[in-house]
Amino acid sequence: MDQPNILVVDDEGDFLETLMKRLQRRNIPALGCSSGEEALQLIRTSPFDVVVLDIKMPGGMDGIQTLKEIKKVRPETEVILLTGHASIETGMEGMQSGAYDYLLKPILLENLLEKMAQALERRGGAAQRAQSERIRSLLPKG
Amino acid sequence: MPIGGYLKKLLRRRAAAPDDAAALRLEFKERYHHFKLLLGANCKALEVMSDIEETLRGERLFGMTFVRAACTSVCVSVFSMVRGLERLAPGKYTALFERFDAIQKDIEEILARPLPPRDPRLVIPLAELNRELTDAAGGKMANLGEIRNRLGLRVPPGFAITTAAAERFFAHRELQTEIDRRLQAAETGRLDALYALSAEIQQMIIRAEIPPEVEEAILQAYAALEAECGHGVKVALRSSALGEDTGENSFAGQYRSELNVGRDTLLTAYREVLASKYGLPAITYRLQRGFRDEDIAMGVGCLAMVPAVAGGVVYSRNPVDPHDARVFINAVWGLPKAVVDGSTACDLFVLSRDDPPELLAAEVREKERKYLCYPEEGVCRLEVSGPERLQPALTREQAVALARVALALERHYGTPQDIEWATDEAGEIVILQCRPLTAKEPPTEAAAPAALEEESLLCRGGVTASPGAGAGPVFVAERAADLLSFPQGAVLVVRQALPRWASLLGRAAAVVAEEGGFAGHLASVAREFGVPALFGLPGAVERLRAAGEVTVDATGRRVVAGRREALLAAQAPRRPLMQGSPVHRLLEEAARRIVPLNLLDPDALEFAPEHCRTLHDITRFIHEKAVLEMFRFGQDHHFSERSSKQLYVEVPMQWWILNLDDGFTEEVEGRYVRLGQIACRPMLAFWRGFTAIPWEGPPAVDGRGMLSVLFQATTNRSLNLGVRSKFAERNYFMIARSFCCLNQRLGFHFATLEALVSERTAENYLSFQFKGGAADFERRMARVHLVAEILEDLGFGVEIREDHLVARIEARPEPDLLKRIEVLGYLALHTRQMDMVMANPTQVEHYRRKYRADIEQLLARGSA
Repeated sequence: MDQPNILVVDDEGDFLETLMKRLQRRNIPALGCSSGEEALQLIRTSPFDVVVLDIKMPGGMDGIQTLKEIKKVRPETEVILLTGHASIETGMEGMQSGAYDYLLKPILLENLLEKMAQALERRGGAAQRAQSERIRSLLPKG
Repeated sequence: MPIGGYLKKLLRRRAAAPDDAAALRLEFKERYHHFKLLLGANCKALEVMSDIEETLRGERLFGMTFVRAACTSVCVSVFSMVRGLERLAPGKYTALFERFDAIQKDIEEILARPLPPRDPRLVIPLAELNRELTDAAGGKMANLGEIRNRLGLRVPPGFAITTAAAERFFAHRELQTEIDRRLQAAETGRLDALYALSAEIQQMIIRAEIPPEVEEAILQAYAALEAECGHGVKVALRSSALGEDTGENSFAGQYRSELNVGRDTLLTAYREVLASKYGLPAITYRLQRGFRDEDIAMGVGCLAMVPAVAGGVVYSRNPVDPHDARVFINAVWGLPKAVVDGSTACDLFVLSRDDPPELLAAEVREKERKYLCYPEEGVCRLEVSGPERLQPALTREQAVALARVALALERHYGTPQDIEWATDEAGEIVILQCRPLTAKEPPTEAAAPAALEEESLLCRGGVTASPGAGAGPVFVAERAADLLSFPQGAVLVVRQALPRWASLLGRAAAVVAEEGGFAGHLASVAREFGVPALFGLPGAVERLRAAGEVTVDATGRRVVAGRREALLAAQAPRRPLMQGSPVHRLLEEAARRIVPLNLLDPDALEFAPEHCRTLHDITRFIHEKAVLEMFRFGQDHHFSERSSKQLYVEVPMQWWILNLDDGFTEEVEGRYVRLGQIACRPMLAFWRGFTAIPWEGPPAVDGRGMLSVLFQATTNRSLNLGVRSKFAERNYFMIARSFCCLNQRLGFHFATLEALVSERTAENYLSFQFKGGAADFERRMARVHLVAEILEDLGFGVEIREDHLVARIEARPEPDLLKRIEVLGYLALHTRQMDMVMANPTQVEHYRRKYRADIEQLLARGSA
């Protein structure tokens, strides 16, 4: 399996676990972690193409802060924000801070995969592109 | 241009030559990516907008959560579009940011306004309920209150346990937090996992403690009911969820009712009804429709049991054919439950709408079973014995009285009703429940009334893009010129539901389109104007073209010959159930900054960022400009010959190809690329059309015409590389697998074709420009108009300014667009040759016919 280049960050253990399982089942290599701080540490060590990031993580850094930090460390990273609590303010703040997109929970896996594929394609390398194609092949056509 | 500037430009172009291909590739990729993102965001924004509209019409449930999610989603999507356009054309449309900002701030400000507090009571007696209390009591109970207190009809005594009480219950000991946690982690794609989850959550709810203040309120209200109805009165507990009993009726049957409950089990039954919010059907429905849990507030009704002698359902219109206006009553012995669950045959009474209603037909069936209340608790199913089996469950007087009730309710609500009723021991009618009659499938042949005999039915099916019915003479609109001649009050019939027809809606009686759905611009404008619209009717144009006056019944999804007053009259205006509620008002106000479309005509001066008044305007503007900006890419970029390959088909062709991305099937060495190495589907389609039918007319005497180069290139071997001649203009293709940009310039003449064609239909577009020619102005004009005519017939939007033609078509499936590119390939070869004959009208007519025949032949062929 390829090197994981997708990072999923969510402090909801069950949500994270389920999402990781669902990605695994589709052979999409991804790494999961449960806080913004942890995510930053991982990103400092090695780059990720796409980060899926929950906005509301009451324990520590929230998603928007984490996003801003990620963009400082590795601006090329594409960040997809997730939230269970829609608000125009955070949505816009996220987008203006350079988020790739903003999805509302409960997420449809297809929507998330589609976004991942687009973000990977945007990253541009051959490996990213191949992975993007593969993820796309899992999606319904049209 | 001063010569110095020209030279500079030339030099700059040359200087950039050696490595421009790589940069060009990168830039293309970047733009292509942003373009695709922008289209995706556009789709999503439009989807949410139509969601908002639907919700406002009262056909969906409400909640602040929905309002917030919808507004956020639409703002984020539109912002993505603004940002995307900025990347396609940096600095060119910055005014959009300001407009977007202002509108978004408005919406935020509206959402931040504090709502008037919802009724804080935990229980509300039926005597105090009405429709305005829907968000406190849920639809079912608010309706019963309305019927009782405003129409004076008899309903069982009782009270509502409010949505506020349910909220307290779910907040108590963080029950909701735990439920949310489990739901968010759920593997929602698997039914078995969902089933287990549903059972688990329902168990949690049934075991949970009711907050003391809620318990006390319920028991007090029950005591009051006992005082009214007698000690130990048995009650029915029924779900009364927000949105449950609205027009769509999608929630019917998802929640539980508990019948014949006593004081001892009252609280358990309450928990069971609440738990049914997490029943499997309810959970899956919400997941599929994208509703969040907290959007569904659960009210519960507590009603004294009626000792039903007979019961059933009355429909204020034929439930399988809403245009049959007679009143239909189903009746059984005992509780109406038997009608609802279909467990026994029931009597049918059909009555007229007259005052008094006349009994038109009665079919009395053999009723084998009935449900009755046990003396203690619960209900039982009994065999019906003796003569009762064959006796009608209603007297004529009762049937007439019921029909009167049904008609009164329909008048009151402004829409057909579905009413559950019972008769008590004194023979009095009691209303148990009342809701809008669900829209049913169009009538079957058998049920269709005589007035709609088969031969008058012109079209059937499709999608109701805007409900209602309208009648008028058919006007088929195919070209831009038709905008000017559209008569007031006509029925607009088009192939595609394009935004450009929107400007006709103010004058149209109804709209019919062969293609298009609910979420498009035209549909949304039709709804806004209240013009009935029926989309997705293949073949409608040909079938309706000569039909004269027709009636479009968009709600019933059919088009009928002639003017049908019955159909037109049947369209009682609908009154949204939630209208007047604070949440409704708030959404309505936010929607005013989101949904209306003011920018209709891209050619108008007002089609500019500063005139965008809503988010819909912004999406419309950006969509239009994004396609143009993508298209400009080809015009604004030039690349050196060295970085491109020359097409080789038997001989080297004057076709130069730059691979932007994945346009070749393999790594291509050397200076030539062969046809078999080209992966670009639009380019291959162009080639197919170009080579499909050889030119049979006189030889091209004047080689200076722009497209003669293409022709020359296929036939003239002396035109290969190295032989510099004034004819040796090149055809430049920039290609990727799904994209091609053909650029052809010569002096004042040029032709460009740009196409993005893949299986992702929403992103597809095709754009063709064509200017000049070798002939005099009149002949050029004649040619341009001939080409325009052909392209309009193929569904292109065509614009002509002098001898400059711009044609566009978008969002069509891949095979359709590839076929159209073939036609462009064909035209590229053939129309050029018309310069020789354009002066001779007879010959022009000859070629016009020939082109049409050739194109038909091209279109009929399977794609190679």
